[in-house]
Parts: sequence; structure tokens; C-alpha cells
Amino acid sequence: MNSVVQIIEPEGILDGTKTDDFQHQLDRSINSGVQAILVDFSNVTFMDSSGLGALVKALKSLKAAEVDLFLCSINDQIKMLFELTSMDEYFTILDNRAEFNQQLQK
Amino acid sequence: MPVKFSEVTNNLKVLQTIYIEVLGDLRELDKLLLEFNRIYRDFIPCRDWLECRLALAEGFTNAVRHAHKNIPPEITIEIEVLLRRNYLEIRIWDYGSAFNLQEFIVKTARKHNSWLSSGRGIPLLNKIADRLDYQRTKQNRNCLLIIKRFSDHRSKNTTTEQKNICMDI
Repeated sequence: MNSVVQIIEPEGILDGTKTDDFQHQLDRSINSGVQAILVDFSNVTFMDSSGLGALVKALKSLKAAEVDLFLCSINDQIKMLFELTSMDEYFTILDNRAEFNQQLQK
Repeated sequence: MPVKFSEVTNNLKVLQTIYIEVLGDLRELDKLLLEFNRIYRDFIPCRDWLECRLALAEGFTNAVRHAHKNIPPEITIEIEVLLRRNYLEIRIWDYGSAFNLQEFIVKTARKHNSWLSSGRGIPLLNKIADRLDYQRTKQNRNCLLIIKRFSDHRSKNTTTEQKNICMDI
């Protein structure tokens, strides 16, 4: 697969104060014609339901634009948030970037 | 096996109480979570602790977004956390108008939709809390009460690494 890939690395707390920025970043990526987006959570310490809401919104618009969305390196807190809301069923969550690179080579 | 009276009173004993006062501003969440870490103890199961932190964050951001929507951010939101052996009690006081939380929970449960990009906070709180209550106080404030009981599977010795994961360090 020869994709144009965009990697987004949010930092710190991903909550209601960051969701607009995050949304803009994603919109820019969609408009630039990428085929896959990876959100690397390595530097995110905490995410609340607003952060999750932004991801859900992103997933919806990316699906419409036929862009694949991958998430990686989520910590235990974020994992818990996905489980509690059963949203882990809707997202492709990878362990790390290495796994993402493997996915791209498929 | 019958539970001994001494065990019951022991479990009810308040081990620590902390008070946190923050501005009615979403940007205060960072500070709030940091202050909340002061009440952490090794015996609290990591998963429960992470759920408590999330419940605190959801309770606070709800208060800012909804209860304090038309209130200047200088008006503070007060938080009290009580730690007992078996559970944690979080109280969040806001200056908003009265609101029927139970009715809201019932209504939102009826129109369940996985694709919501907002409005997940209260259902999430309801899922985490063993008891969730929102009461009008005599001082014309509201108090959100969140009680989270700890699960029985506690690790006797929490490693530093586990502890750091718990506190997002």
C-alpha cells in the first residue's frame, strides 16, 4: 500500500480545551489528501469524554472522506475510557508505531 | 462468614479528607487532577483510581460547562474528597441553577447513540459511580456526590511503576 500518511501527536491533557485545535489539525489533513491518519497518544497523559467526543467526530468525517484512522500508544487511562464507553469497537487501536508501519505494508 | 463490627467501623473510618478550590474554567483541570493525586494511597486498586480521576474530571467539566455556563470564571467550584478504606467520596459544589440529574440520566439512556460527539460525561459518571447524586443545598448551590467503591482485588504491593501509571506521571 502506498499511502500518504499523516501523524498527529497531541500532548498533555486531551479535553474540551484542546478539541478545537485537534479538529483543525484533522481537517487540514483531510484537505491535504492523506489516505491514513495516525494519532499517536505517547504524549497524552489524560483524556476525558470531550477528547473522546472529538475522536468520534473525527472518525465520522474521516469515514466520509475515505481516510483510515489509526490510534496508537494509548495509556491505561485512555484504554479504560474506550472500554467504559465501548468505543474500542469502533476504532483501530494499535500498540505502537511499529505496528502501524506493519499495517501500512500490508 | 459474618463481618465483624470492628471491620465495618474500620472500613467507614475517614482516612483522609482534601479540599480543592478551582476557578470555573476548563483550564483548571490540570491543576485539579494534580491536587487530587494527594489523596492517592497504595491500597487503592489502579483501575478504580483511574476511574475516580475520570469521574472527578467529568464532574468538574460538567459543572463548568453547564452549571457555570453563565457565571464568571472567577466564581470558584469547590471540591471535597473523602477517602475511606473501601471507597472514595467526591463532592463537587457549583453555583448553577437546580437540575434534575436522575431525570436526565433516564432520558439520555433512552436515546443511546454510539456516535455522539458530546454528552457522554454524565452516562460515564453514572457507569463509574456506585452512587451518583445531585442535590440542591441550602446555600443555593448544587452538590454532585460521586461514591466509588474499591474492588476487592487489590495488589498488596504496588510497584513504583504501577503507581506512576495510576497518577499519569
